[in-house]
Order: sequence, then C-alpha cells, then structure tokens
Amino acid sequence: MSSPLITIRDLEVAFPQPRKGLFGSLPEPVRAVDRVSFDINRGETVGLVGESGSGKTTVGRAILRAIDPTGGRVTYLANGEEVDLVALKGEKLRRFRPRMSLVFQDPYSSLNPRMTVRDIIAEPLVAAGLMRDRQQIDARVREIAARCKLNLEHLRRFPHAFSGGQRQRICIARALVAKPDFVVCDESVSALDVSIQAEIVNLLRDLQREMGVAFLFIAHDLAVVARISHRVAVMYVGRFMEYAPVERLFFHPRHPYTHALLSAIPQTDPDAEFNPIRLEGEIPNPLSVPTGCRFHTRCPFARDRCRSEAPDWREIEADHFVACHFAEEFDFTRSRPKG
Amino acid sequence: MAERLLEIENLSIRFATDEGPVTPVHQVSFGLDAGRTLGIVGESGSGKSVTTKAIIRLLPGSATILPGSRIRYRMRGGEMVDVQTLSPTARALRRMRGGEIGMIFQEPMASFSPVYTIGNQMIEMIRLHKPLSRRQARELAVEMLAKVGLSNPGHRVDQYPHELSGGMRQRAMIAMALSVGPSLLIADEPTTALDVTIQAQVLDLMRSLRDELGMAIIFISHDLGVINQIADDVVVMYLGTVVETGPVRQVIRNPQHPYTRGLLQSIPRIDTLDAPLIPVPGDIPSPSERPTGCPFHTRCPIMRAGECDRLAPTVREVSPGHSVSCHLVQAARVVA
Repeated sequence: MSSPLITIRDLEVAFPQPRKGLFGSLPEPVRAVDRVSFDINRGETVGLVGESGSGKTTVGRAILRAIDPTGGRVTYLANGEEVDLVALKGEKLRRFRPRMSLVFQDPYSSLNPRMTVRDIIAEPLVAAGLMRDRQQIDARVREIAARCKLNLEHLRRFPHAFSGGQRQRICIARALVAKPDFVVCDESVSALDVSIQAEIVNLLRDLQREMGVAFLFIAHDLAVVARISHRVAVMYVGRFMEYAPVERLFFHPRHPYTHALLSAIPQTDPDAEFNPIRLEGEIPNPLSVPTGCRFHTRCPFARDRCRSEAPDWREIEADHFVACHFAEEFDFTRSRPKG
Repeated sequence: MAERLLEIENLSIRFATDEGPVTPVHQVSFGLDAGRTLGIVGESGSGKSVTTKAIIRLLPGSATILPGSRIRYRMRGGEMVDVQTLSPTARALRRMRGGEIGMIFQEPMASFSPVYTIGNQMIEMIRLHKPLSRRQARELAVEMLAKVGLSNPGHRVDQYPHELSGGMRQRAMIAMALSVGPSLLIADEPTTALDVTIQAQVLDLMRSLRDELGMAIIFISHDLGVINQIADDVVVMYLGTVVETGPVRQVIRNPQHPYTRGLLQSIPRIDTLDAPLIPVPGDIPSPSERPTGCPFHTRCPIMRAGECDRLAPTVREVSPGHSVSCHLVQAARVVA
C-alpha cells in the first residue's frame, strides 16, 4: 500500500458550448472539472462523493481517458516508470487501456444481451489482444468468475437470466479479467437493493485484498462510500472541497459542505441526533459558477472574503486537504455512539 | 382517539402477463388513522407501489383486484366507501383522486405535462376540485408555490416544468398535490431522485405542511433512514406481503422478522465505520416464481424445513400495534 499509483494535478475538463445564434459569440466553455489534484495509492480505494452535476463522473472518465482532459497532469506510475496519461495517444494509449477499467451503474444496460456471460467477461482480453488461445481465455474467465462468486455453470447463459446483483458481479468480473491496477466504480451499487448492495460492497473489498487493485469509488451515497474507502474526496460544482482519510473526513470534517452533507443523511437509529444543516437554495449551475468560493451561496458561514476570493487547495494537516479560508476555525467533530 | 381513514384488508392483486398470471400483492392488510404518517418500506418487487395505486384504483388494465380484498376509505362526509367495488367512472372515485387523496411520485418530470406551464396545470387541478374562478385558482397556486419555498412564485407559476431544477420541480409537485387540501397524501419515493441536501429540504417541508394541514401521509421508500425520519408507523413488505408492521421506533429497535433484521444489518451506517455489513443472502425471487409457504424462506437464515417452506405464516401480535408474520417469531420472542 501507500505507494502512489496515480497522481492527478490540476486536472481540468472543459466542454465547449454551442455558439449563440449563427453569428453570435462563442461562450466560455463549461468547466465540469476545475483544477482537481489528488493521489490514488496502489491497492487503495478512494471514494468520490458529491451531488448530481458536481463532476465526479467526469473526473473518473478523464483519468481513464474516456474523455480527454483539457488541462492538468495525470501521471501513472507503473513498474518504476512514469506514464503521462494525458499525453498518451494512438497505439500507446490502446495498449495501456487494459491496465485500467470501469464498472458502470446500471447492470442492465451495460451488458450486451446477445453475448453469453463467458464472452462478456472475456471481451477485454480479446479486445486488447492480450490472449488468443481459447483454452487460456477460458481458464482466466473461469478463475475470475469464481472469485466474483459466479456459478460457473452459468457462463454459457445470456445476461437476461440474471438478477441485478448477479449482473453486477458479471460486470465486476469483466472489469477485473485483464488484471488491471485501477478500476473506476461509477455508482456501481446505487441501482441495487440494499440487501444486495452490502454483498457487492463486501465482494469489492475481498477482491481488492486478493488482487491489490485500486478503486476510485464514485457515489452519491456517503454511507456506502464510508464502508469501502480508505480516503474520501468531496466534490462540489467541479472542485474538490475536502480530501482526507475516511475516519478523519467522517468524524472530523473541516469543510462546512462536508459537514452539511453528513448531517443530511437520514439515519436508521431512532435515537441518533438528526439536525440537518439547512443549506439554502439550489446547487449552482456550472454555467455560472459563483465568484470566490463556489460554495458561498449556500454556506451558512460565508463571509465577505468567501464571496470575492477563491480558497486555495491546501493541506491543513498531514494527508487532510481542504479548500476553505476558515477551515482552522471550524470544529465539526461528530460524536460516536457509545459502546 | 383518531378516526380510521383507510383500512386495507386482505388485498390481493393479480396481473396478467405474457408469462402467465403473477400476484405482486398477496393478502396485504394495514390501516391508517387520520393525521398519521405511515411508511411503507420494501425493496424492488415488494409490491409497495402497486398496493398504493390500488387505493385510488390507478392500476393498469392488466391488473385485477382479487375477490375477498377490501379497501375502505372514509370520505370527507364521514361515510366509509368500499373502493374496490366502485365503478371506474364513479363520482366518489373522481372526488378521491387528486381531491381527497393527493399523490406525488419519484420523477416529477413524468407527472407534469411538458407542454403546459406549472400554473396552468395547477389551476386545472384546483378548479376540478374547488369552486374557484381562474383568477382565484391562480392566486391559490402562487400562494402554494410560495408555501413550498419556491423563490419568486409569481414568476415560477408561468414557467414550464423543464425550466425548474429537480428539487424545485419536486416542490412544485408537492404544491400542486396539496393545493386542494387532501386528507391523505400518497408519496411514492418522493425524495429518491434528489440529492441529500435537497432531500433534507423536502422532508422538512413535508413535515411542516403535514402539521399545518393535518393530513395523513403514506410515504413509500426503500430507505429505512428516510422512513425513520418522517413516519409514525411502518409497514415492511417483502414480495407482495406484509412481513412486519408497527410503530417505527419499535420496529427498528426491536425487529422481529428475520427480513427486517437482515435489512437493518445490511444498511451502512455513518455513525460507526467498523460494524460489519451483513448482506441478506441470495437474490429476491422474481414475482412469477413466488416461493410457497413463507415468501422469505429462500433467503431466511433461520428457516425451519417442513414448516416455513410449506405453510404461509399467520400474523401475530408481539406487542400492541406491532405484529409480525413469521412461524418462528414465538420462539424468538422475548416475553415482556
């Protein structure tokens, strides 16, 4: 653990806007991701949370080069060599792809209904030309399917025969078959029922322990993220607000937004304190990002400085990063239940 | 003592499908008093939405309410009507839908027509149920939009649904459902599509409007945390049957049914990060392959062969208002 696998510095993804009218001016591009910096260690799970439209999916896709970043550096450290992922092109990029992979949200639309489970899981090996021998491929597919607790008898079936939880295990097997170092799980348990969700979370944790793969676990559900992540990043309208080890982020958050998010989760314990911080108004449109700190329009602690000056991304204590002018003044320590 | 507003007895609903008949709702019984909030919690396929749609007879044409089912609703005049016997064109049914019983759904975009303004749709609805002029109805619409906390309601009333954000649309839908002052509000996963900070706003709003207007609410959700925040009583459903029902606090503190217990253990909590997450083993059976006996026996950790897989359990009361449908609950029961 703890040796960095991917370092992300000032990552920026901007989407161009359509011209206003035929001769109109070209509007400023929308910055879906705006100067985001963090590291992902080997064999580690980094959780990425944020509300809809915050840009968390775009961060994941930009690292995978499913979308091209418009700025910043993404460096991948593999076997002692540094690879600049943003500069990678053509054949080199294609050969690099099997090292990284993706598990989607919806296990229904992400499996081809006309392929057997075996062919679906084998696809990354075939597509990247990693293996040609049929028996070799079969052996690898069976190995990974067994690890993902799929019934090997089912490999000849088609996806329609499976429930949501089983389908998600097929997706995970497909993502891991080429033994990648890094997998982005984009809302991979959000579509599942809670009684099934726990099983997939436990499976991902076991697979990580066995295979040493690093996950970027993107989700809007903080409670699930808390269970699977070593470190957690909180995103708001294209920027990171806070990034810290999971214990620190959940029990000693420094950013008012993190605090508000945590307080708004309805808990099942009837005796748990539930006083959600009332955030006024709506999440800003990324087309018109507020000046200064982008959270100031909803922040209960906003002052003049927040409205005019954007806070720096700084390390407030070891491994705990925050973007807030007044982070030192806030103590949002949450109490833990006794016993 | 509050009076009974709704009484569902033995409700079974059958759907004709290409693969033969399925019964997504099987002998469901529960009741609701005026002014109370009832949460219905269940996973996909548990029949929670179908049950509530039957209350206002909004089931699709392929569905039949089976004989022996009863849905009794107390109309504003005080008389109890047997909803399942009403003709689809009955005047009472028209009064209930939207008037005495309001509904809000998970996806507000699907419930508003995209081609009329919010105001037009609210005015149409208000005038259907209240003897008001267009102008008066419009004033009421603006007043309701202000009440649910939309900024600049005089302007919003003339906007189209696509011009509002998700949270605003959800609040506009609540405003519309409440504008005629229903005695019962049926809310089907109203906050599921919303972000947590917006969800907290909407729950807050529903709570304060409930207290102000004194209506009863049926709140459907798959999230026990949300139910815990808003409901007085809870009905836990699994595969079309009620497995446990009682006051929320009691059901969460002292769950009796193995499914309720499993559900509570599989929900990740944020107050402690190291308690293990224990999944409920197995998968939810498809509605066309409904297990015999107790519907949960295929996943139950304490299943007793020969009993649970053969006989349907009866409902037993473990304490006043708290009942459970399980063969083994007496063995597990702590005598108070």
